[in-house]
Amino acid sequence: MNFRRLILVPFIILGVTACDLDEELREDLTAEEADQIFAAADEAEIASLIQGIYNGFVLPFQDQSRFWAAQEHTGDLAIGPTRGGDWDDGGVWRTLHDHTWSADHAFLSDTFEEILQIVFSTTNALQFEAAMTPAQVAEVRFLRAFAVFAIADGWGQVPFRSADSDLIEPSEVLSGEEALSLVISELEAIIPDLADGPNYKANADAGRVLLMKAYLNRGAFGNRSNPEFPQADMNQVISLADQITGYTLEDNYYDNFAPDNDVVSSENIFTFENVAGENRGGNTVRSRWFCTLHYNMTPSGWNGFTTLSDFYDTFEDGDVRRYAETSALAETGFNNGFLVGQQRGPDGTELTDRNGAPLVFTPEVALLESGSNLEVTGIRVMKYIPDLANGDNINNDAVVFRYADVLLMKAEAQLRNGDAASALAIVNEIRAARNASALASLDADALLAERGRELYWEGWRRQDLIRFGRFLDAWQEKPASGEERLLFAIPADQIALNPNLTQNPGY
Amino acid sequence: MRRTLLITLMLLSAVFIYAQRTISGTITDGDTGEGLPGVTVQIKGTSSGASTDINGSFSLSASADNVLVISYVGYITQEITIGNRTTIDVVLAPDTELLEEVVVIGYGEVRKTDLTGAVAAVGSDDLVKGLVVAPDQALQGKIAGVQVINNSGQPGGSTTVRVRGNASIRTGNTPLFVVDGVQLTGISSRPGSTAGGVGSTISSNPLNFINPNDIESIQVLKDASAAAIYGSRGANGVVLITTKKGSAGETQVNINSQVGFSNVLNEYDILSASEYRSALDEFGVTATDADGGANTDAFDAILRSALTHTHSVSLSGGSEDALYRLSVGHHNQEGIIIGNSMVRTNLNLSGTFNFLDDRASVDVFLINSVTEEIVPQIGTNSGFQGSLIGNALQWNPTYPLRDTNGNILVSQPGVAATTINPLALDAFSDDISDYTDLVISISPSYKITDNLTYRINYNYARGFGERRTQFNQALNIQGIEGIGQAAFGEKLFTNQIITQTLNYNADISSTIKLNALVGYEYQERQEDTNATLATNFSIDGDYFNFLQNADEIIPFVDAEPIQKLSSVFARAIFNIDDTYLLTATVRRDGSSKFGSNNRNGVFPSIGAAWNVHKSLNLPADELKLRLGWGQTGNSEFEAGASQTRWALDAAGGFAQENVANPDLQWETSTTINIGVDFSLFDYKLTGSIDYFDKRTEDLLFQQQVIAPGPASLYWLNLPGSEVQNNGLEILLNYNVIDNGDFTWDFGVNASFLNNELTKYSGANVLYGQVFGQGASNARIHRLEEGQPLNAFYMQQFTGLDDAGLSTFEDPAYVGDPNQDVLLGINTKATYKKFTFNLAFNGAFGHDIYNNTLMTVLPITNLGTRNIAGSLVGSGESTANAIQPSSRYLEKGDYLKLNNATIGYNVGQIGAFKNVRFYITGNNLFVITNYSGFDPEVNTPNVADGLPSYGIEYIPYPSARSYMLGVNLSL
Repeated sequence: MNFRRLILVPFIILGVTACDLDEELREDLTAEEADQIFAAADEAEIASLIQGIYNGFVLPFQDQSRFWAAQEHTGDLAIGPTRGGDWDDGGVWRTLHDHTWSADHAFLSDTFEEILQIVFSTTNALQFEAAMTPAQVAEVRFLRAFAVFAIADGWGQVPFRSADSDLIEPSEVLSGEEALSLVISELEAIIPDLADGPNYKANADAGRVLLMKAYLNRGAFGNRSNPEFPQADMNQVISLADQITGYTLEDNYYDNFAPDNDVVSSENIFTFENVAGENRGGNTVRSRWFCTLHYNMTPSGWNGFTTLSDFYDTFEDGDVRRYAETSALAETGFNNGFLVGQQRGPDGTELTDRNGAPLVFTPEVALLESGSNLEVTGIRVMKYIPDLANGDNINNDAVVFRYADVLLMKAEAQLRNGDAASALAIVNEIRAARNASALASLDADALLAERGRELYWEGWRRQDLIRFGRFLDAWQEKPASGEERLLFAIPADQIALNPNLTQNPGY
Repeated sequence: MRRTLLITLMLLSAVFIYAQRTISGTITDGDTGEGLPGVTVQIKGTSSGASTDINGSFSLSASADNVLVISYVGYITQEITIGNRTTIDVVLAPDTELLEEVVVIGYGEVRKTDLTGAVAAVGSDDLVKGLVVAPDQALQGKIAGVQVINNSGQPGGSTTVRVRGNASIRTGNTPLFVVDGVQLTGISSRPGSTAGGVGSTISSNPLNFINPNDIESIQVLKDASAAAIYGSRGANGVVLITTKKGSAGETQVNINSQVGFSNVLNEYDILSASEYRSALDEFGVTATDADGGANTDAFDAILRSALTHTHSVSLSGGSEDALYRLSVGHHNQEGIIIGNSMVRTNLNLSGTFNFLDDRASVDVFLINSVTEEIVPQIGTNSGFQGSLIGNALQWNPTYPLRDTNGNILVSQPGVAATTINPLALDAFSDDISDYTDLVISISPSYKITDNLTYRINYNYARGFGERRTQFNQALNIQGIEGIGQAAFGEKLFTNQIITQTLNYNADISSTIKLNALVGYEYQERQEDTNATLATNFSIDGDYFNFLQNADEIIPFVDAEPIQKLSSVFARAIFNIDDTYLLTATVRRDGSSKFGSNNRNGVFPSIGAAWNVHKSLNLPADELKLRLGWGQTGNSEFEAGASQTRWALDAAGGFAQENVANPDLQWETSTTINIGVDFSLFDYKLTGSIDYFDKRTEDLLFQQQVIAPGPASLYWLNLPGSEVQNNGLEILLNYNVIDNGDFTWDFGVNASFLNNELTKYSGANVLYGQVFGQGASNARIHRLEEGQPLNAFYMQQFTGLDDAGLSTFEDPAYVGDPNQDVLLGINTKATYKKFTFNLAFNGAFGHDIYNNTLMTVLPITNLGTRNIAGSLVGSGESTANAIQPSSRYLEKGDYLKLNNATIGYNVGQIGAFKNVRFYITGNNLFVITNYSGFDPEVNTPNVADGLPSYGIEYIPYPSARSYMLGVNLSL
């Protein structure tokens, strides 16, 4: 009966040895493996860690439905009208424009969580600080400050974790003021270590611009319904602006937004890099032109968002920011700036809409379109020069900080400190560069309007309107709104899971 | 006959040496007195022998001291010493023990009378006939409590199979499929599509590699007392497929061939060109280009009468010591949508070999299947540019699809640049998949004692698929027009299982029989996919043949974590005097997927049954009461969720990608089942009734990460959560008439199901995404305690106002996609040589959301695209916004004639035996008020890890098929 035993032996052996059930990952690395790599990482390995952080910026900061929409659709320069069967999308765009969003607005919730993912990934990367160069440490801390600033701006509270936090447990929450203090202290600490460039990576000037924004908005973040602007903060803004050198206002305004803007722009201080043919994790600034161009245009768009005629009417004739013929014209048949009136194809033919009616974009636009011309209402915005050669994975870098913004913030600080003359000089310098006539005088409203004309659709409008005390005003296709709208609602699912969060007043 | 002659000749050659003589005789059936063909007559201790001919006669050479062993499946084997006889006639008695129905229960089988759990069995004769691609489709309407939905009409397309409803919130409600003891992975070897265009195309049925003609029977373990032997994979029920095996005797050759055609079952009510023109007038649409002057039926243009032919040939036979069956199948089916086809060729080989005086045996089987699919451009989540079905439905019927020379018009004046001509989409795209599935199983076993058997099974499953997709730059799809796009994808998965069992089968007293099993099992699964997406080609051609030419080339590699499962299990079945039965099982599963704090799960069950008719004198032939309790698990979540992972991503990035949950484990279903089986009126009426109550706890769920975190969702077992499914299942079979020439059997199965999320304290997550223009981000399912899973939650449509715009009331729970009642009706009649079969199935008490009507055929299309016929006369404004609401929720009740077959048994024609011709039709008609293609529909999509259910979105329409077939044997 030896045979019987022989059979039983493998039964037992297999039963014992095969119980090693440690999970073997393949496409991914385990935490232990990552620890090993980064404990003694070289600069290139750390660079991959930092690239992972940058990839996390694509969706929340470039997609048309995320932080950009939170800043622009809620303001007076952009609208996402429901066009009959098109673009209602359950009201997500309309509720942004008329300030009726709720705590379960899907895009705002996604934006909140995705930006906080950057707060996580940066802190997580910093646990390997020992292996990083000082410039890399500064780069990561800049990116974290950028994300914290955005959350503080939108929601007034910032969930935050240390690197060793248990991710299943609720995170701590910084108040808006605490968050802004963190941003300021972080930036002041790291600016000396930040690299000088390139503009599509964190750099010292980008640190200075963000710090300017922190000081400029500190009074507004602290008291949104009645912002104050301490002189010391404004002096910081001016002093930082003066430290930002080496940039000039671009002769060709739209070079800042061209497919090769990483090379040709003399104004861009910080951008999110897009590389032709690479998908780094989502929809890029290609959506700026897709969401506004009509289906029958070249390139074919989604016929969605437009600007508002009240804003359009504030431009002078000749202002290149309103109308300029750029390299795009030959390929697309349209100018840059704003598209209004009869549209043409690349060969100059007059286009029609899907009904066969002339494709004539009208100044009139309504939040809920119902007329027979609902396809063509609204003035379209062409800030970027479309990269036609690269389909969905375009080369245009997404513009974040621009020198013109630096100058306008400096002017604003001067104005708030009572030096209207210096501020006017700066504003007129910019206007001259854009082929607009000089203003005779400058007050806050005029400066806000100029910021609109210069920086429209670049993702700053809500912050500007709040700082200038205009966010709750009535404007085209929007009634006056309540004070609770100065902050977005904390997403309902995060409130449900994290007892350290309290819902913002009014939601 | 030829073989008999050969053997006879061989034996004659030996006569002179062994002084043998010719023995002849006839073997007859003890019941009928008729001759039995194919009976093995063997000389004991040798390989010599013969088998009986068609009349039951045999002839062989033997000597006087030889012993003849006469054996035939289903009869008691006899041994006869020849002595001085030359004629030996034998009457074989049917083996009642053997004839009793045997049911496969996982790692073994039991007599049906010994069953204690809720196990349903369907034999090959009773499976769905006609045009059936995969085995799950053959179960439709056959078993109470088992629902099979053909998600679409695409040949080989995926199905939705549910045993006793949805128990889990997230994906993974599909039962475990087991073929001849081999647990399948549920992975289709066809790669997903990577290219853009129309979104995700319909996935393939992972069971496509099994030829339904090779199936002997299918058993479904419905309750936990039966399924607990499969532990953490058993909670969705277990479907055990047993393939046909060879039986001892002459080589049997069986041939089945069928040919036929399919066409569309139902079409959407859309406007013809003339109706469209009237509608333009009616709604005051005066747009210049609204009327293109032509008369086109674009939907008809993408339809065709599709040819199907299938062929199966099997050879089987062998001796008691070596049985084999070899089968080759070929299935060649055109889809009813142009450019779509599926061709499958498969080989199935099985054998059983006994040796060492029958103490040792080896079972082997092999399935190898090669499939080529040409996939149509039909997406489950297409955006505003739609897919082939949407494009055809929407096409403005007053515009031509081709120019006067017959060339397809990609664009034409008057048609919007983004409107896609469906013929152009078909002509300028290709999507070709080629995949191979292989399953090998080998099971040596050894009888250590007469009561104790050791068995080791090793099986290996492997799927490998390639997929080539391309969109020509001529197509006016955004992101493709002018540059072109192509993708090449591959998938490879392997699954290995080694199982060892010891089975002890003995009478432990004069009245108590014990059948005990202990086992150890180890499984290891690996899955890899990779794909290359290429965009922007310098020249035209078959892009997928020169991807390197593209300007943009994006590779994707996906190497899943290796999944390991280590299990021990045991089962004991006590049979007390054939009257009282007790089954106890336990399985302990350790999985590499489970968190380090919860690596092993234990799944016990117990079942008892009482054959009442053995104890009491009843007016029934049989009456059996069954009671079962058990726990099963479900662990269908992605591997790698319990530990922290760092991912290497685009542009050299490297980042932590998940929130690890070291407590992550299976979800547990506890089921109580009470059943009764009965036979009445001299077995004319048989049936069973089961009540079950299944409660699923520790629900697996992808919860929002508490920000800040590395991802938006993470896996956890929701604390304090519970889903309850309960219901009643009734199966009745009535032998209405049985009088020689005429027989008629009538069977009904019905299940009454109730589903509720009974305990849930998480967020009221919205899921169930709807798609198409104006519907970005719209979701219509919502999770809430007290509601059924997948409850429809949306604005309540209250009608159109004076301006023709929709009016709504606040969102509310307005419907439920879960079927309350499932019905199957199966009837079979024979008259002389004719046979008639009808099979109906139906479902009642559920709602379907018609996403097609909402976003593909809305009133706002009028002037540019087609609209639903129901909108004519509605007074709706042509500017009415597209908004999800109860307006598009429809009753899904239906009854469908799934199959009708008429056969004629010719009998013998020349060398061909058992010749039978038949005509069969599938999906012949459906009775319903649902306005879409087919109320039997599910366009599956997943949002935040939560699957949608009961939503129709421009699916592949269902086909009606007619086939002419022949069976014959040699």
